[in-house]
Parts: sequence; C-alpha cells; structure tokens
Amino acid sequence: MCHQTVSLVARHLEANGLPTVIMGCAKDIVEHCGVPRFVWSDFPLGNSAGRPFDRQSQALTLELALRLLEHAPGPRTTVASPLRWTADPDWKAKYLDVSKLSPEEIAERRREFDVVKAVARAKREAV
Amino acid sequence: MSAFAPEHDVPIRYMDRTREYYQALGFAPYRWAHFTDAPFEPLRIPLARARVGLITTAAPFQPEAGDQGPRAPYNAAAKFYKVYSMPVDAKPDLRISHVGYDRANTVPEDLDAYFPLARLHDAVGAGRIGALTSRFHGAPTNRSHRVTMETDAPELLRRCREDGADAVVLVPS
Repeated sequence: MCHQTVSLVARHLEANGLPTVIMGCAKDIVEHCGVPRFVWSDFPLGNSAGRPFDRQSQALTLELALRLLEHAPGPRTTVASPLRWTADPDWKAKYLDVSKLSPEEIAERRREFDVVKAVARAKREAV
Repeated sequence: MSAFAPEHDVPIRYMDRTREYYQALGFAPYRWAHFTDAPFEPLRIPLARARVGLITTAAPFQPEAGDQGPRAPYNAAAKFYKVYSMPVDAKPDLRISHVGYDRANTVPEDLDAYFPLARLHDAVGAGRIGALTSRFHGAPTNRSHRVTMETDAPELLRRCREDGADAVVLVPS
C-alpha cells in the first residue's frame, strides 16, 4: 500500500510542476501505477533507502535517485540498483507465502485481520 | 560464458502475492491503481542549487499506540490518517509497524534504511544538492485511492510548494 500511495502522490506533484523520484522495493506496484522516476532496490519491503546499517549502500541508492532527477529522459524511467540483498534469492519466496499455511492458520490470520481492521477503522473515524 | 541466474530470481510479484493471500483469507481482489501514462516535469535547475523535499510513509512514534518496535506485529493502532510535517534538522523517531513491510525477511532497526534523511544531509554537505526543505512530510497509506488522490496528494503538494521545493524524493516503507 505504501508503494501505491507514494506513486499516486508522485504523479500528482509531477502533474503540477514538481519533479519527483521514488525510491522503493515493489517494482510491480510502482510500475503498474506508472510514475515519472523510480529507483528500484531488489530488497525486502522496508528497505527502500538501502541496506540497514550500511551507509555506503544507502548513499548509492540515494545517488541513483539524484541522477534520475537530473538525467531521466522521460516518464516511467526505472533504474535498478545493482545491490543484492543476499547472494541466494530464496528470501523472495518467503513473503506472504500462502501455500505454506494450513487451513487453521489461514482461519487464524483471517481472525487477526478482522481485529486489525476494526482497530484501524476506529482510529480513522476518530480523526 | 557465465551461468544464467536462477529462473525464480526475478522481482517479487507483490500484487499477485497479495491477491492470492487475501483471496485465501476470503477477501475480494484489490484493484491496484493503474495508468498507462505518467506525467513528467524536468528538473530545471542544477541539483547543486536545488531545494529538495522528502515524503515518507513512516509514522511518528505514538507512545499510546502499543508495540511499534522493530519486531512488532502489524499494528493498525499506529497508523495515521492525516498528512503530517516535521523539521529536518533533528532525527525523528519514525516507525513502520503500521504497514506491511516484509516481516519474514527484514527487521527495521535502522531508520536510514527506509528514511533517507541522514543521507540527504550528507548530500547537502557534499554540495551534491543545494539544500533540503525545512521540513519533511508524512503521507498516510490508505487503501482508498480516492482519499490519496483527492485529499492527501493535494495537501502534500500544497506543503511542498510552501516549502519552496524544487524536487521531491518519495520513499515508501
């Protein structure tokens, strides 16, 4: 949802004359929405600005964003960070892997989701 | 000749993964925002003279809102529903327990990995960019496209203009 939110915001800023660049991890969501400039890191969601506790990785990721601001030839320009999360790509299978859940676990997740949703609704309506 | 990468070493298809997950839980598929075109505005001044703004989806720590630590489960009580702004000259206490980051693969213990303010300050120090705007802004993450497009995005534009931003970096959590 975060990636969709910033994609929609970037489109709005850009359409109103403000150049933007997104740094993110969810390539499909950002490109499906369609944005002006995007630095994609093939990292787990939550690491849009580079690897944790790795200043060099973060500096490189930001530098790619700055270069896009300067040099992107047109909209929907994506640049892929060359950094790898781990040499082994198996981490990618672990995110929201529903195939590994039993029917009982799925029912439990549903219950948890309903609770969380009620909390969010109460908070939203209190605003 | 070097060997090819494994077939499955491709960008994660988050939209498919999310759809399958929530369908298994009994929900109708979510309609993701989709456009075939995108606006484009060139940066008209050198970056070394530009004032750069920053927009995040991270949330300020709320003492009353329960566990927001790096190992917290998804915490809807820590969400926020209005655009907020904070000064860039202090390190803010921003958390991401209110969003669906990849809890299976990462522990968000380093703010700098999802909020590049420190690196942006470095870039100003190095003369790479002219300046930062005096504040950064928080964008509420909302399932409703309409709220994002009609309420939050115009408010963020208004604040970025007020700040005199020449360009804006947006970073989802």
